[in-house]
Amino acid sequence: MSATDILVISLLAFGVAMELTSVLGILVGADIYARLHFTGPASTFTPLALAVAVAIQYWVFSQAGVKAAITAVLIILLGPALVHATARAARVRQKGELE
Amino acid sequence: MNSYYLIAAAVLLVEIGPLLIFSVRAKPEDGLVALNVGSDIATLVLLLLAAGTGREPFFDLAIVSAVLSFAGGLAYARFLERWL
Repeated sequence: MSATDILVISLLAFGVAMELTSVLGILVGADIYARLHFTGPASTFTPLALAVAVAIQYWVFSQAGVKAAITAVLIILLGPALVHATARAARVRQKGELE
Repeated sequence: MNSYYLIAAAVLLVEIGPLLIFSVRAKPEDGLVALNVGSDIATLVLLLLAAGTGREPFFDLAIVSAVLSFAGGLAYARFLERWL
């Protein structure tokens, strides 16, 4: 097993563990805002770790490396917007209005 | 074929199960949170499957899934806010 393999396995394990943390947080969260808080690791650390693992394995500027980076950037950038929209919807449903 | 990626994809797929059950049983806005994370996981599973099988064109599926899951989640949030 080479050093590259060990690095890739470590990144994959880290990414999967972060995703598991998020899932557990969502399942046991007290309310919707706590649950939204726990979506953070799933939409930042996991895509980053997995994209870096793919980039190391396939080379950064290969087709696979670039597409994995695009996927990770999309998830990282669009995740907070989705969290904001969900929190806004929850607030309106609870209070009847946003303000 | 690289088995590390396929094992990671399998573990991530298992994590979708509790989210699916939660999104069915919980309140709609709580279920939406689980749906959003579940769609993120599905996108990452596609990424890992493409990497594990070594089929580089399949990475496009993960990119399309990332964009469409965002659009779908946004549409659900707007519907929850206004009509549901």
